[in-house]
Amino acid sequence: MDFIELKDLYFEYKRGKPIIENINLKINKYEITAILGPNGSGKTTLGKLMMGILKPTKGQVNISNMNSSNMTLAEISSKIGYLFQNPEKHFFCNTVEEELGFALRFNGQDVDYINRRVEELLILFQLEDKKGNCPLLLSQGEKQRLAIATILINNPEYLILDEPTTGLDSHRKSVLINILKELTKKGIGMTIISHDHFFIKELSHRRIGIHRGEIIYDKRS
Amino acid sequence: MTKEVKLDPRTKLVIVLCISTLGIAVRDIISLLLILTLALTISIIFKVNLKKSFNKIKRLLYLIIVIAIIQSIFSSEGDIILSVGRVMLLTINGLEKSFQFILRIIIVIISATIITSSSSREIVQGLVQWGLPYDIAFMVALGIRFLPLLTEEIKDSLIAIQLRGIEIRKISIRKRISLYSHIFTPILAGTILKAEKLSTAIEMRGFRAYDSRTSYLVLKMSKWDYLIIFISIAFTSFYGIICIFR
Amino acid sequence: MINPIEINDLYFRYITSTDYILNGINLTVSKGEILAITGLSGMGKSTLLNIICGIIPHIRKGDIKGEARLWGRDIKDLKIADISKRVGIVFQDPDIQLFSPTVEDEIAFGPENLMVEREEIGRRIENVLKIVQMEDYRYENPNNLSGGQKQLIAIAAVLAMEPDILLLDEITSQIDDYGKERIKGIILNLKENGKTIVLVDHNRDILKLADRILELKNGKLSIKGW
Repeated sequence: MDFIELKDLYFEYKRGKPIIENINLKINKYEITAILGPNGSGKTTLGKLMMGILKPTKGQVNISNMNSSNMTLAEISSKIGYLFQNPEKHFFCNTVEEELGFALRFNGQDVDYINRRVEELLILFQLEDKKGNCPLLLSQGEKQRLAIATILINNPEYLILDEPTTGLDSHRKSVLINILKELTKKGIGMTIISHDHFFIKELSHRRIGIHRGEIIYDKRS
Repeated sequence: MTKEVKLDPRTKLVIVLCISTLGIAVRDIISLLLILTLALTISIIFKVNLKKSFNKIKRLLYLIIVIAIIQSIFSSEGDIILSVGRVMLLTINGLEKSFQFILRIIIVIISATIITSSSSREIVQGLVQWGLPYDIAFMVALGIRFLPLLTEEIKDSLIAIQLRGIEIRKISIRKRISLYSHIFTPILAGTILKAEKLSTAIEMRGFRAYDSRTSYLVLKMSKWDYLIIFISIAFTSFYGIICIFR
Repeated sequence: MINPIEINDLYFRYITSTDYILNGINLTVSKGEILAITGLSGMGKSTLLNIICGIIPHIRKGDIKGEARLWGRDIKDLKIADISKRVGIVFQDPDIQLFSPTVEDEIAFGPENLMVEREEIGRRIENVLKIVQMEDYRYENPNNLSGGQKQLIAIAAVLAMEPDILLLDEITSQIDDYGKERIKGIILNLKENGKTIVLVDHNRDILKLADRILELKNGKLSIKGW
């Protein structure tokens, strides 16, 4: 099913310097799509356009057949979870525990449910002994894990992950690979933006290469 | 064929100071409007992004109008236009004063943006070559860098909140205030932490390693710079004297 | 021959913590050596690097026991200003290392502070931009660069200071394959010129460049076995 569709996508920050040029893509919901490319190729920008964090200069992004420009970010996030390249952009609470439960509490969920969900994620991401710590004072790898945990809290049906292996050692990378594989088994598809070949090889069904804002290859394994 | 003349940032500083001084010292509205036109023209010549400045003014417009109204209420001279019972709300003088105030603020804002057509490095170098100690100039430049850091943090956090499924625009005012107050401390803490780490990196790059420093960037004033500075100061003094003796 | 880095019986704990993150570190790094430190995140690798360049205790405070020496002198007795003349550190997050309006300004900043004369600064800027292959971006605002490109500029900015000891804290995490190749070249080149390098990284290709690989676990260093 074409979950995300990019039509004639064009994006620039400054006039005359396009970051994304003429991209047409259909992203399937039930597989893992990888977007690869060198630094400065436009991968992150493409991910943000897919998520609706950036609005296209020209062209259109459709999510579930609806034009994403007509949707609010919060509406999009009920379907798609987005991971920033810099995990600190996800944090605005004083403790790890608070950070995980924030959105649920704010939306008035039942306290027991919140506690269970938070505990589940703390264990899954090995952050139980850090639950009282301030998110900004964690090590890079711990921040990464917490950020991924926060975007899973609302049970999204799809994920866009921008360089999720930044700062992870090989052990934790394996843990992350397993977590993501489990999620795909539950029917959650994802787009992973990365330059980590090993990580991509382990996970992806489809590999899209981007260079200077244009797609240069699109392979299925 | 026009030759692109690049003006020294110090010249721009002089221009900004002159315009701001005139804007504050001058009284009558016609002159203020003329000065505003001058400021706008100069901004356009320097290719300042006026759209951004207008957006900033738009956001402050609410505050500006409130202050203007307060000014008007507290100046009780002149013919009364509007009054409620014994309280004079609007007088001719009051209207004039608030209009002056609005024009002055806009002049100062527009002229300040003239400075933004030079990079912060150039401005710092300009001040240093004028004799300001580098430490101070640099700290000022960093302080200027700090404010956008804070606004970046706030923007990022608001996006992050929406990404968690919280519809900021659709929740009640009370809940919104509670949201903002809840995240205010961590956002401020985040900015301060960022600033601390940045200052660590700056120290490790040798900041203040010696009593002075060399500079790769060297500014040279051209004859245009001197000419414009002379014209600006002459114009300002001339105009200022006329206004004082009116 | 005095070793550039010598650490004896070092214990360290942050003031906010009750546990010691470094529990008896003994380390000697010889001149011209490439030392790699590996270990799970959160184990104290960055903390160790911060102690070596004096950020701890001069900028960040903590409970520190034992001694750390740079060229035989106790780091506690040295000033950051003096350390920065010979020790350079590149951090993991480029956003807290770049603050200038253009790439050129950013790279010139360090040498300007070290009183390097103008022509030499110009030469270093060109040289270093060639090394990281970012010459096209000389007048760009670093804010407009991608994450990996920013990191390359951060590395370039420190290289321009020509330090004798270079500390690299997980610098390749955001960098693509081409960039990693360039960095491998940079590291090997620095070693040839007699510089001492201590790097923290997870990438095997980078770790393979090291003369010695140590693992930091439970606050202690041990030889890493694959």
